Amino acid sequence: MIELKNVCLSYGEKLILKNVSLKVQDNTIKAILGPSGVGKSTILKLMLGLIKPDCGKVFVDGQDITHMKETELYDIRRKMGMVFQGNALFDSLTISENIGFFLRENLKLPEDQVRKKVQEQISFAGLEGYEDLLPESLSGGMRKRVAIGRAMVFNPRMILFDEPTAGLDPVSSKKILSLISSLRHTSNLGAVIVTHIIDDVFNVADCVAVLYQGEIIFDDVTEKLHDSQHQFIRSILSDKILEL
Amino acid sequence: MHLTIARNLYKQMIFDLKAFLLNIQEFFFFSVRAFVTFPKVRTYWRDVLDQMTICGTDSIPIVLVSSISIGALLAIEVGNLLEDFGAKTMLGRSTSISVIRELGPLLMGLMLSARFGSRNGAELGAMKISEQIDALRAFGTDPVAKLVMPRLVAALIMFFPLTALSDYAGLHSAAYLAEHYHKLDPGIFWNSVYPRLLPKDFVVGFLKAPVFAIIITLVSSFNGFSARGGTAGVGRSTIKGIVVSSGLVLVANFYVSKIVLENM
Repeated sequence: MIELKNVCLSYGEKLILKNVSLKVQDNTIKAILGPSGVGKSTILKLMLGLIKPDCGKVFVDGQDITHMKETELYDIRRKMGMVFQGNALFDSLTISENIGFFLRENLKLPEDQVRKKVQEQISFAGLEGYEDLLPESLSGGMRKRVAIGRAMVFNPRMILFDEPTAGLDPVSSKKILSLISSLRHTSNLGAVIVTHIIDDVFNVADCVAVLYQGEIIFDDVTEKLHDSQHQFIRSILSDKILEL
Repeated sequence: MHLTIARNLYKQMIFDLKAFLLNIQEFFFFSVRAFVTFPKVRTYWRDVLDQMTICGTDSIPIVLVSSISIGALLAIEVGNLLEDFGAKTMLGRSTSISVIRELGPLLMGLMLSARFGSRNGAELGAMKISEQIDALRAFGTDPVAKLVMPRLVAALIMFFPLTALSDYAGLHSAAYLAEHYHKLDPGIFWNSVYPRLLPKDFVVGFLKAPVFAIIITLVSSFNGFSARGGTAGVGRSTIKGIVVSSGLVLVANFYVSKIVLENM
């Protein structure tokens, strides 16, 4: 379980997160919905300990990671896989090297086991035949699938998705969403999805937190979003995509 | 009105000074982290070999071109000057000391600052902007151990042979020009070189190699890691890395010579 307790964060003079509290249970898919630039991706980075909050605390499985050293955080991060908004694939490595990076680098698995696990992810992501290509040769949707495969390969308990369908065509978006939905059924994984597309929330998320002007204005199961009377939520339910 | 402008200027100066001091502090911690990760060299030996090829083997042409040019120029200019005093036989002595103590290592340092430093700054800057460095951290890999330490180890190893190569090429191009331009017998040239070169001349020259390796690698890598603001930010951080490391190479060149020559 991941928990943010009364977290505040500012970049320079700009206050990004104001007293944000949030819980993500294991084996559930939670969406964080909000307009661009509101601090959604920042929440994912806080969960991984990539940045530190100005105040408040971050817990992973009950452990306070707020003031942990970088070396102590490595074990925590191994519980979570991250799919970055721009994928952050290592551009000098091939697709199979990207997917197997963590297994070779940190787990030091024997080469035959690495190949087997990489092949499993390549099949899961539907990337057969592209193993030896560099990321620059792939389309946006395929790169995203590589990034998902890379995040899943070491069997984390939770995967964090930063805008998984942003910039993709409708067909690729659908493929990515069905891939995310299948995660829980095939691997019993939990996920946090940061998005500004409300359809993505209804398609995959069990529960949703809405971030608006640095504050959580809604945090409940997805179906209850329709019952909210908050003006911002009413407006996004009618507009569907947030472009504020 | 004037008071307000002066007050704003003062505030800006204080802000810039704080930012500068914070940057120095971050650079210090970054450098310490790079050295502290040295024990991981066995894990990243492939990266070290890759970087040795990039900063060593691939840099040979540029080091040769610069050292041959400066050796030839020195031979022509110093030879002309010595001829006025009837001391042309001292050409080997003059050029060898200049090349081995100063110009060989200095030119190699400046060339590698431009070549190896710019590559480091641009590559690491692009990785920072595209979140690849964050991805390394997210997957539990120390980016300094993976990306900076191998560059530092490779530079510390390869700058020695490059300095030797630079000295060798500079001296031989000077000898060639002495023979063909100043019509000086090669025996006379080399006889004025070898017996008069002292161990301290080599110590001065070769001590600069690790100093330059540390300056160039750490300054360029730090600037790459600090890149922000898209592709323009990568350009800015790369330029900053080259300018700062070249300036520091020039300053370090002076101080290494001064300290060694005063104490040996």
